Amino acid sequence: MTGPILAVSNLSVDLEREGRSRRVVDDVSFALAPGEVLGLVGEAGSGKSVLARALVRAVSTPLEIAAGKVVFEGKDILSLPPRALSAIRGNRIGFIGANPMGSLDPRLPIGQQIVEKLRCVRPGIGRAEARDKVLDLLARVRIPSPGARFHEAPFQFSGGMMQRVMIVDALVSDPSLVIADNITQPLDVTVAAQIIRLIDGLRQSLDTAFLFISSSLPVVAQIAERTLVMQRGRIVEEGRTAEIAARPRQSYTRALISRIPSIWKDVTAPAAREGEAVLTVDNVMRSYLVRRRGSFNAYNEVKAVRDVSFTVKAGENFGIVGESGCGKSTLTRLLAWLEQPDGGRIAFLGKDLSHLSARSLTEMRRSFQLLLQDPYGSLPSGMPLQRMIEEPLLIHGVGRAEAAKRAQEAMAEVGLDMELADRLPVGLSAGQRQRINIARALVLKPRLLILDETLSALDQVEQAELLDLFNRLQATHGFSYVFISHDLALVRRMCHRIAVMYLGRIVELADNSTLFEQPHHPYTRALLSAMPTLEDNRFPRPRYLLDGEPPSPIDLPLGCSFRSRCPRAQGDCEKTDPPLLALAGGNYAACLHRHEAPHEEEAVHVE
Amino acid sequence: MFVLSFLLRRLLQGALIILLVTFIIFTLLRVVPGDPARLIVGGMAPDEVVVMKAKELGLDRPIPVQFVSYLGDLVTGDLGTSFVRPKSGASLGGSSFDDATREERAKVLDLILATLPMTLQLAAVALALALLVAVPLGTLGGLYPGRWPDKLALAIGSICVSTPNFWLGIVLTLFLSVKLKLLPAIGYRGFSYTILPAIVLAVEIVPFILRTLTVSVAQVMREDFIQLAPIRGLSRSRTIFSHALGNSAIPLINLLGVQLGMLLGGVLVIEFIFDYPGLGLLTINAVLQRDFPLIQGIAIFISVMFVMINVLVDLIAMTIDPRLEY
Repeated sequence: MTGPILAVSNLSVDLEREGRSRRVVDDVSFALAPGEVLGLVGEAGSGKSVLARALVRAVSTPLEIAAGKVVFEGKDILSLPPRALSAIRGNRIGFIGANPMGSLDPRLPIGQQIVEKLRCVRPGIGRAEARDKVLDLLARVRIPSPGARFHEAPFQFSGGMMQRVMIVDALVSDPSLVIADNITQPLDVTVAAQIIRLIDGLRQSLDTAFLFISSSLPVVAQIAERTLVMQRGRIVEEGRTAEIAARPRQSYTRALISRIPSIWKDVTAPAAREGEAVLTVDNVMRSYLVRRRGSFNAYNEVKAVRDVSFTVKAGENFGIVGESGCGKSTLTRLLAWLEQPDGGRIAFLGKDLSHLSARSLTEMRRSFQLLLQDPYGSLPSGMPLQRMIEEPLLIHGVGRAEAAKRAQEAMAEVGLDMELADRLPVGLSAGQRQRINIARALVLKPRLLILDETLSALDQVEQAELLDLFNRLQATHGFSYVFISHDLALVRRMCHRIAVMYLGRIVELADNSTLFEQPHHPYTRALLSAMPTLEDNRFPRPRYLLDGEPPSPIDLPLGCSFRSRCPRAQGDCEKTDPPLLALAGGNYAACLHRHEAPHEEEAVHVE
Repeated sequence: MFVLSFLLRRLLQGALIILLVTFIIFTLLRVVPGDPARLIVGGMAPDEVVVMKAKELGLDRPIPVQFVSYLGDLVTGDLGTSFVRPKSGASLGGSSFDDATREERAKVLDLILATLPMTLQLAAVALALALLVAVPLGTLGGLYPGRWPDKLALAIGSICVSTPNFWLGIVLTLFLSVKLKLLPAIGYRGFSYTILPAIVLAVEIVPFILRTLTVSVAQVMREDFIQLAPIRGLSRSRTIFSHALGNSAIPLINLLGVQLGMLLGGVLVIEFIFDYPGLGLLTINAVLQRDFPLIQGIAIFISVMFVMINVLVDLIAMTIDPRLEY
């Protein structure tokens, strides 16, 4: 068979709501050759996921397929009788979604569920044969000890491992096409990079075609030979991925590419600046006791934050990066003094917070404000906007008239329309909601804003606008910011100094240009190598990308906690847990065998 | 191993709860007005006899002392003896103090154990009837939200919840036993006497089950793994029976635990109306006669049942959903 395996022609999907219909997929045509990987990019809301579901005829009201054909292996999926459709869906066409944790029944062992699926679409396969097949695939997607994990339920897996399970689920029936809808979106960078590398390896050995959907062109560029660009339901550009990335023809594609932040090319890193210390964190520790499963009263100690020290100076942007489970969130709670450290000291403006009386602590709290990630959950839904912004002032004892005046000033400053003052937050966009949160912090005239993934729920345009707002506020009020984020591009653009966390510790702390251009710690290099970029990555993946996932914080490796995944680990790493060593230029790294800066290496040669 | 440690923890917690309940009941009963010694010997007895009776029963000691000695008996399984009930079962509360026909008084535990099977039978039949109606209807309602099964479930639930049980009991008796002579209504002389009160009780429980099940099925049906199931190739019936129902069962099981506890302890009105010789009727009579040991015994017994049922419910829920192992 030499023709296309999937040929879509003039496919349209309508959204019917309140008697009106809106076209969300508009006259889409494309073809997919056997074994090909075709990328599909477009912003959120461009209709990618609807298209993906329409291809397997899995759209339901209010969505409706209005016109078109989806010819798969010679049959039009859209006009097949239900029985014939079920012979294709899940069997010849696999589907992987963006929510691995929610894709299987949370109660039942994953192995059992995949076997159930396989036997559902291939009634001829026996139980034992199906089981062997699933075990074999679990091993091929490199899930450690597949025999044991076969019997575990989804909640016992991490997001990355669960996505591997879903890949097995899609591939188990030997499909000739797999639709991968945004599969790396919820994952950490290194895990996402592993998944892409895995799919790339698998499809070469399986000869399966992939439709790889993502909102990020750099992600698609890592795997797809050809790419479709989608805007408002239409395919606006189609071609070889490299060609599209280098020479986009359509203005939409150009805009899409221009919004991808550059990491190395033509970047001027914000230079570290001097100033008085606003926030001082000294050797802070925090652990939690978690009852051991299946025991009466045995507890495990989870060391969430271990021996963290840094200083944030006035007018400085300090970044904290790391992957899920590295202790970022716990550290945020400590910095905002929502929890107190078990050991060490956090001082604000030179005053140790643990020594303050309740009254002066409340007074002090005005000066450091926390902005959260979820713009929907962080606002009271039944309160008018202005009242919401006045509230912090009222709590701190400001009079009503004064509070109203300052709230209005703050609304103007963050760019909220005064007409919104008496409205409820219903129907506001995520960006507008975060502006409300910023205004709520702003009215108290703080010195430090702690931004816990504050921008990660926003799209690129809203993000850029808010970053401008942050810069403007910093210029007028002299704020310091702590950016806690997993988004390296954001940190690259905004932060003067950056700390990289791994398993509760800071493994490297350096100024922006050192960290991105000449990092010393192997973990920092691995993080950078995992970043999807259109430009050449300075840290090529084959050399720097990590395998596996971080060990459990309950059961830390002896010695250096990164050693179990470190490409440079040697014998002494097992014995010594390297302290955060001061390097030239006020930078720090915790590694016994760190990468040297080039001039240092040269200096050694000269001597 | 896990189950053992779970049981140990929960039973210890349960013991603490029962101890608290015991203390509260014991204290409350002793501070309310009404002298049991006077009640036992009868209104005509001279004061000395009352004092003597109080001494004999230990009622003249301070309340904390009484409580400790009661607890001591309790751990040996002795719930005490009824103040007023003789072993034969008849009540002698009002009879004369020197009546020669008075027999030895009945053990509280025996009284409870004698009536418990009746109440268990009533509760089981009521629960079975309720489940029979509410599970299919509630599931359908959840599968088709906003369509006719959902509306039907809502209508039936509303009607049931707004029907007063004593009224329904009387009306059913009037039609089914007096007019149509289909079922017996008053007293107990065979299994058929259970059916009418069970229907009335079922009507009381049905709306709770309906509501819980409709909501939880509808919620589970919106989950990603159910939405994805047809794309993964699972048939609709398979999705519903092996995934949707299992996941919606947890709230229902928790509800049933509470309902069963209520059925065992709280069907006072129904048993009274139908003169059904169960735990409820025993409770009412004990209260009317100020039979302290009996009231205490029943209260403690019911709280033990409550604790046991809840442990059992949690165990079942854990088997259905291993995430609940904490």
